[in-house]
Amino acid sequence: MTLPQTVTAGSAFSVPTSGSGPAVLYIVGPDQALRRDVQLGNPVSIAAGDLYNAGEYLAIIVAGSSSSSGELEVTPAPHPDTLSFLATPSRVPVGLHNGINGAVYVFDAYHNLIVTPMPVSFELSGSSGPSQARTITTSHGVAWTEIDSASKQGSAKFIAQAGGIATTRVIDEVPGDPCGLTISAQPDGAKLRVQTALVRDCSGNPIPDGTIVTFTENYNGAQTTADVPIKKDIAQIDMPAYSGATISVASGVVAGNEIRWGGGR
Amino acid sequence: MKGILLAVVLFIATIGLLVIGTLSPIPTAVYYAGGKSLTRASSTPQDAVENLAVQIRQRSFGDAYGSLANRAEFTEPEFVQDLTGNTLSLRTFATLEDFETQPLHESADDAEMLLKLHWSTVVGPYETTRDLHVVRNGDRWAVDWPLVKAPHVPPQVIPVNYLRWDVIYSGAGDDWGAQDVQAPRIRIVDMRPVNRAEGVVVMGELLNEDIVPAFVGVRATLLSKSGSPIASEGAFDMISHTLLPKQVTPFLIRFPNVDLSQVGSIRMGPISVLVSASADPVVEIENQKYNLDPEASLTGQLSNQSGQTVNIAHVLSTFYDKNGQLVWVAGQYVDRALPPQTPVDFSVQVPEDLAKQISSERTIVATYSSGNSL
Amino acid sequence: MVAVAIHLPLLLMQLPLKSYDTNFHIFFASHYVHHWFNPWNVKWFAGFSQTTYPPLAQQWVAVVSRVLGLNMAYMAVQFAAILLLAVGVYRFALLWVSPRAASIAALAAVLAGSESFLVYSAGQLATTCSAPILLNALPYLYDWLRYGKGRSLLKATVLFAATAAVHHATIIFASMFFALPVLALAWIDREESDETSGSGFAARTVAIVILTAAAIAVVLLPFWIGLFRYPITQTPIPHPSRANYILSPQWGINYFLVPYGALILALPFIIVRGSRVARLRPLMLGFWLCFMIGLGGTTPIGLWLLRRAFDVLTFERFSYWATLLALPILGALVAGLVARFRLKAAVPVAVLAAFTCAMAASWSHYKPADAEDFNVAPVAQWLNRDGHDNYRYVTLGFGNKLSRLAVLTDATSVDGESNSSRMLPELTKYGGGALTDAKYFGTGGLESLRAMLRHADRYGLKWAIVRDPYYEPLLVFAGWRHVDNLDDNTITIWAKDGVPPATPMNTSQMPPPWEGYLWGTLPFGSSILAILVVLIPDKRRRAWREDEATVTPITQETPLSGRLVS
Repeated sequence: MTLPQTVTAGSAFSVPTSGSGPAVLYIVGPDQALRRDVQLGNPVSIAAGDLYNAGEYLAIIVAGSSSSSGELEVTPAPHPDTLSFLATPSRVPVGLHNGINGAVYVFDAYHNLIVTPMPVSFELSGSSGPSQARTITTSHGVAWTEIDSASKQGSAKFIAQAGGIATTRVIDEVPGDPCGLTISAQPDGAKLRVQTALVRDCSGNPIPDGTIVTFTENYNGAQTTADVPIKKDIAQIDMPAYSGATISVASGVVAGNEIRWGGGR
Repeated sequence: MKGILLAVVLFIATIGLLVIGTLSPIPTAVYYAGGKSLTRASSTPQDAVENLAVQIRQRSFGDAYGSLANRAEFTEPEFVQDLTGNTLSLRTFATLEDFETQPLHESADDAEMLLKLHWSTVVGPYETTRDLHVVRNGDRWAVDWPLVKAPHVPPQVIPVNYLRWDVIYSGAGDDWGAQDVQAPRIRIVDMRPVNRAEGVVVMGELLNEDIVPAFVGVRATLLSKSGSPIASEGAFDMISHTLLPKQVTPFLIRFPNVDLSQVGSIRMGPISVLVSASADPVVEIENQKYNLDPEASLTGQLSNQSGQTVNIAHVLSTFYDKNGQLVWVAGQYVDRALPPQTPVDFSVQVPEDLAKQISSERTIVATYSSGNSL
Repeated sequence: MVAVAIHLPLLLMQLPLKSYDTNFHIFFASHYVHHWFNPWNVKWFAGFSQTTYPPLAQQWVAVVSRVLGLNMAYMAVQFAAILLLAVGVYRFALLWVSPRAASIAALAAVLAGSESFLVYSAGQLATTCSAPILLNALPYLYDWLRYGKGRSLLKATVLFAATAAVHHATIIFASMFFALPVLALAWIDREESDETSGSGFAARTVAIVILTAAAIAVVLLPFWIGLFRYPITQTPIPHPSRANYILSPQWGINYFLVPYGALILALPFIIVRGSRVARLRPLMLGFWLCFMIGLGGTTPIGLWLLRRAFDVLTFERFSYWATLLALPILGALVAGLVARFRLKAAVPVAVLAAFTCAMAASWSHYKPADAEDFNVAPVAQWLNRDGHDNYRYVTLGFGNKLSRLAVLTDATSVDGESNSSRMLPELTKYGGGALTDAKYFGTGGLESLRAMLRHADRYGLKWAIVRDPYYEPLLVFAGWRHVDNLDDNTITIWAKDGVPPATPMNTSQMPPPWEGYLWGTLPFGSSILAILVVLIPDKRRRAWREDEATVTPITQETPLSGRLVS
């Protein structure tokens, strides 16, 4: 038998044989094996789609007690069919340098990783501001890049494209830490209503509702604290109204201003 | 005749052994009988208090109420509520495991006794103390029970519109590489190992940096100087596991029977999972005071700002020295439920040897509300 | 026929499934069904050896289950034990009293409250299977001691070995109460007939003790090896049978009133009759001592005599043995009463006996092991799907359904119901029983549960399956997440994040293959051998002398002596 050295995954090919009489051809490779009854002297036809897993194969032809064998390499199809696009993180703070990673694995129609170098274009386009794009050539079937997050919050489309195939991921660009956290207080019956100004990050994006703001009131050696979620861009709480008390605010590791309650601010 | 004698001897021996076993019961029998000793006539203040404690332990609340001198001042349900809580709380889950009595003062007609009750609960043991006034009534003594009346929350409507986050994860049939929601970003912002008599303690603080709630845990592995693991433990309940965005929790991990000198390095393993969560309830911690006397402790009140009762609250306090360095992390379960808008006292104990180093503290509250777990 | 009429319907209704331990025995049997020669069971305690519990009764359940299924196989083996008990009590009673009295004793055994209590409430298959074998061995012991018959020696030795193969506590403790009176009886009878010298008697005694000890040592060799390598050092677990039944009357009802029933009325007469008749004194003394120990913590005698074992043993089995010891004297009493008063005695005695049996048999209905019956099949299905069984689980609030679940699921647990099989320090250190019932063991039980949850990562423990909301606060504060609901939301599933999949554990405690072969061969072989040797006919058959075959009225003071002739 005369085997072709390489065959493209999923393509049809034939194997010429010599001699006479019935024989059996076995082709064994990664995760796949074929068996064909053949008449020696006639070529054996392997139909399109029969041999589809890329890798090294061993072909053995057995006729009676004699056999012969040879090797065959099946290579991935050159045209991509699917892109496995790993984009992380799914949420990223705004204005983060190289904060977004994208990795693309290029596969053919039979899910073989295409290892021949191939250009992959990445594009990140947000709801505001210019889009960022770059093209990376795959190495061993993989292309990988890092992109800065935008300065404005919102959902950004992260698109990877190769050989006319495109895959899209959505990245939530979210506000960063609060910036310039300030509070004010006013009497509310026997209590003191303490509330923040609109809570925003350093790029001016509103901090999402539910973010915890910690209020701390110190008076005469005693302390009152509360972890309060932001609601409609502000956080507010009723605290004991002690004249001379100091009240401070923080969110996470960010500290805000401190006020003294004593008839004045 | 010999046979009759044997029968008589066996009868006497049986009766004798039953009497011994009942008057001076073995420890197991005492345990099942419900107390340190058997209830007997309350002929002394001590007997009266011990009988009352035994009845409480046996959950014979009717008998306990009936034995009180001041039972006319409150009803039996009020007495039971004082012991077990008027709504589901740690007290409801508690069983009295043991008790101690201590005479404080005694005269011919009345006495002051200290009753320390050691309760066992699912989250761990706790202790309550009652100063009891015991009065003489003829030849018997009876306890004046110092009833703590449950605060009454007036009927009202409390509008609650705090946020809730829900999560839809990727399905089982999705391809590899398909996008999924990311676990929240968390960060250990402070960490310090200390050597204690019982072993190494690793404590610190963990921050949820993300904009979504996180279900968190911290695990620490002590490595020897050669890099081999010595022990691995988690924070268990000494952490608030649900962290809202930008919330900080302290954590404390104990390594019993390990000395810090054996430790070369510590590998910290924080984990976070994106979970459905609610921003409710908000618990304000009022009037926190750090006291050095009589015991080093942080006291204050918890005030539930929401409209829903918090059944069990776990107070977690972080203590810092004057340089802002972490000194200790302590926790305390609150045995009473937190009704809406009603302050409830708490007290967190601090080790005496660290007490003087403490300059400031930060406290958070983890909560359990029945029926809100999913 | 009485046994068939009373117990067969109850067993066909599978009433013992409601008891405390039945599912435990079925779980062990289910392991033998699949792994006869491998006693290593991975389903409990992150892996444990079943050589920690004598296997014979459970192996018979496994064998019979091939035909009847596990539940009915259990009932069949239990029924066989009840039938064997009637035979054993009759043969044992014949040593002491007339055939008529022995017949009444056998009838009383079938109706005994303690038998029904152990079968239907406690589910103590091993105790109720081993006692009949022991009782059947005792006449051979007597024969050997009196007459030196080699066949009797062989039969007694094999039956003692089979007793041990069913239940170690029976051979260690009960044999003292049963065998020593028989020894004394043989000595008394020897003195009267003067057939055997004192030294010969002593030699026979020593011989059978050595032979029996050797046989028991061999038959249960893996058990003894395990006990030697891992002696029971765990903190004692509280058990209400150790309570004082006067101070804790609720336990007095459970462990005294129900098992003894109307027999309580006869106790003074048993003592008087057993004291007056010299030949009955050893039996009566054995009964009295066993009865007193069976009172648990009501008297200090159990603690004085058993020392540390007092905190390990449970005492309902002592009441059971005491009942069996009392039956010959009871039989003689009833026979005397009936002989004297005919129907006036027979009817009330029959009514009282029936009431005793009925009360004990129905006790599991009034005081069930589980407060509620529920189906664990949905939990097993959940554990068996989607790779959930890659992790270990713990149930909370499942009671003895823990064993039933373990039979149905492929997943493994850190918990289990066999206290003596536990090796994990979290389970042995605190004095708690099964984690699923942690709250009933006070601080010890809850400490044990907390320790186990604290070390969830170590054991690949990812799932907590909860049927009692009592445990929810602990799970919430300890970092477990509620992930699913089952069975109309009555069962909740909680998960611990970041736990690695379960890996084989405790492998150092795994018995070597040769122990597995011994375990699969010798105990079961001992029962087959016992059946074969019992079939060997005795050369000399017992017969009653005419003058003693008549029933002695209870007013007669004549001692019963020389009952057996060859």
